[in-house]
Amino acid sequence: MNEQIDSHNLKPTKTVVIVGGGIAGWLTAGRISAHHKQNVNVILIESPSIPAVGVGEGTWPTMRSTLIALGISETDFIRECDASFKQGAKFAKWVDGKEDDFYYHPLVLPQGFSQGDLAGYWLNKEERDGRSFSDEVCFQEAICEKGLAPKTIRTEEYGAIANYAYHLDSGKFAVFLQKHCTEKLGVVHLLDDVNGVKTLENDDIGSVSTKENGDISGDLFVDCTGFSSLLLGKHFEVPFKSCSDVLFIDTALAVQVPYDHEYSPIASHTISTGQEAGWIWDIGLQHRRGVGYVYSSKHSSEEQAREVLAKYVGEKFDSLPVRKIPIVSGHREKFWQNNCVAVGLSAGFLEPLEASALVLVELSAQMISEQLPATREVMDVVAKRFNETFLYRWDKIIDFLKLHYILSTRTDNAFWTDNRNPDSIPESLKEMMQLWKYRSPADHDFTSNNEVFPAASYQYVLYGMGFKSDYSHSQHLLSDWKFAEQQFNKNNQMIKQASDALPTNRELLNKVRQYGFNEI
Amino acid sequence: MAKLVAINNQKHRNLIIDISKAEQYGAELNLIPTVLSEFVSLAVQYPIVFTKNGETGEFVCAAMLGFESSENLFWQNGQWQGMYLPLQIQRQPFFIGESSEQSIEKTDENKDYVVCIDIESPMINEAELIETDSYNKLYTNEGKESDYLIQAKSTLGNLLQGEADNKAFITALKTMGLIQPLSLEIAFVNEQTTRLNGLYTINQDKLAALSGDKITSLHQSGLLQPIYTMIASLAQIYALIERKNKRIQSHT
Repeated sequence: MNEQIDSHNLKPTKTVVIVGGGIAGWLTAGRISAHHKQNVNVILIESPSIPAVGVGEGTWPTMRSTLIALGISETDFIRECDASFKQGAKFAKWVDGKEDDFYYHPLVLPQGFSQGDLAGYWLNKEERDGRSFSDEVCFQEAICEKGLAPKTIRTEEYGAIANYAYHLDSGKFAVFLQKHCTEKLGVVHLLDDVNGVKTLENDDIGSVSTKENGDISGDLFVDCTGFSSLLLGKHFEVPFKSCSDVLFIDTALAVQVPYDHEYSPIASHTISTGQEAGWIWDIGLQHRRGVGYVYSSKHSSEEQAREVLAKYVGEKFDSLPVRKIPIVSGHREKFWQNNCVAVGLSAGFLEPLEASALVLVELSAQMISEQLPATREVMDVVAKRFNETFLYRWDKIIDFLKLHYILSTRTDNAFWTDNRNPDSIPESLKEMMQLWKYRSPADHDFTSNNEVFPAASYQYVLYGMGFKSDYSHSQHLLSDWKFAEQQFNKNNQMIKQASDALPTNRELLNKVRQYGFNEI
Repeated sequence: MAKLVAINNQKHRNLIIDISKAEQYGAELNLIPTVLSEFVSLAVQYPIVFTKNGETGEFVCAAMLGFESSENLFWQNGQWQGMYLPLQIQRQPFFIGESSEQSIEKTDENKDYVVCIDIESPMINEAELIETDSYNKLYTNEGKESDYLIQAKSTLGNLLQGEADNKAFITALKTMGLIQPLSLEIAFVNEQTTRLNGLYTINQDKLAALSGDKITSLHQSGLLQPIYTMIASLAQIYALIERKNKRIQSHT
């Protein structure tokens, strides 16, 4: 596999070597193979001795298009990855920590969002009858509260009545992807340990050395080695940029909780419940729940954290093995160096508050695959753009995560008050908060092609947490109350229609197992 | 609600069935399940489409009778105004039951089937025998099966065979990717429009692009003819629109 490097600038990208399995490795391998077919060789080297970290049990709706791009049947995916439908997140006890404190960040845009923005009207409505923003502008909250699925067994594969993503078993998903990539997409799978890197004159990686298979050379190397960041971090020494000054979570305690019985409801949304020094995720798969407490070790001892988790899980907790996972919030200063690009934990990690881990893997894999440099000559340009794109995305995600903390009024622990300290809030977020003081977040606040969260997501969090944009100077902008009333009414109609038409999440998952979806 | 019991030449010796009431079963259906063997008869008047079973999501073959739920445009003045009555109507009030009550599997080939009757059916008349053309007995006075019952059992046999035929048909079409959504936006004479959702038909482009081998295999398994019959039957949608327009006009 050794090749001459004399004219390395004109050398076409023919072989991509991915170091590391796991979801990051296999999704990247799959996307490149599915897009470039047999014109690019994809070799994935996976260590037989290092287990995958297995974070990320929640996805974004983008996972549907990713699976389609890989040529995967939704029925197979749901059956084999213990997957269930996710329609957004319910944030409980984030505002004041009381029992009835919750709001939703659904995946369906506010009613009529493309024609007009309801937020200002909602804020200035005379009759509020106690309903939340997300409930009055989006029918998805109501169907989540009722435990209903986002579609029926008659809906075609990947089709939706209400926009949805997935909850999945990340271990099973990695195995499923591996099988698909090797059997259907022609990815070469080497079970081997990488123990060295050989470089070329221009500092590119020429090959990686393995224990059993000798040197594996390639034109592009993808670092999917998890937290160890073997190629980008260790070999290229690209610095890590911590954001622990903004996001304080640094530890996770995770358990897998069995259902009480086979008819127990399966929530079709992630439940995220604020706790004294962090929050607990609760994700319903088909056969178990994944529950974990992410907290700041500066604000809670591990012992205290275990107690919080035990109280949430209930009596089953004592019999369940608890996994402790350190969380180092932040990312590499760049992600693509020379002919090496990092995808997944090797690029960075943030608390799983908005399921950003898997979506960043998907977006990275998509960009690498679609913009795969034809030759080494253009790789630096692609690398520069990749780095700009993803630095922007990481910053935006950090801002958006921080937004969840700064509007809380909780005072039960310094974790919450420290989070509101202006010194911990990025300037970019402060600026936007100033704009939104007088109007709702709008699409023109987010002008990049590389946005991750739409304006609607900011609205759901802002107004869900009780933020008020002051329209007293701009009442004239709220001139079409007829439109607004129509949309509010339409939303109520849709709640009724959807409630009548949709099965429960568990019912639908059982039917998928029994009958499957049709492709059309 | 239907209450099914196995027929019995002692218990049901004097049962009289008024077949003129069978049509009522379809009075409020806008789609009625059909089987391959009746496609040709149906195509003369009804569009034949696929729809999905609400419980399982699986494709089923159905004849269209109307555009909205519970609209049967062939039902007028208490009568079915069609030249051909679909088997699912003809079979009333009889059903197929399985003799072993334990099993739910329908694919077991060694299964014994029994003929059941819906004893709650409005077609059943146990009153004095009034001889009219539409009154039929299940058994002769000697307890033998009447010609009517023999005919009814043959209809049930056709439906049972039809289930297997339909399954083979739909499996073949799905494998070859020949099913596509049928989306139609229809404007009626009163300028009301309706959008048809949840209906499917044959993908004619993909059919035209099939290799000779595949066409031959469809032909040999007897599936090519129902494919073309379905395609041809779609033209009946215009006749159905016409029926709807007439109904609208007669109401205004």
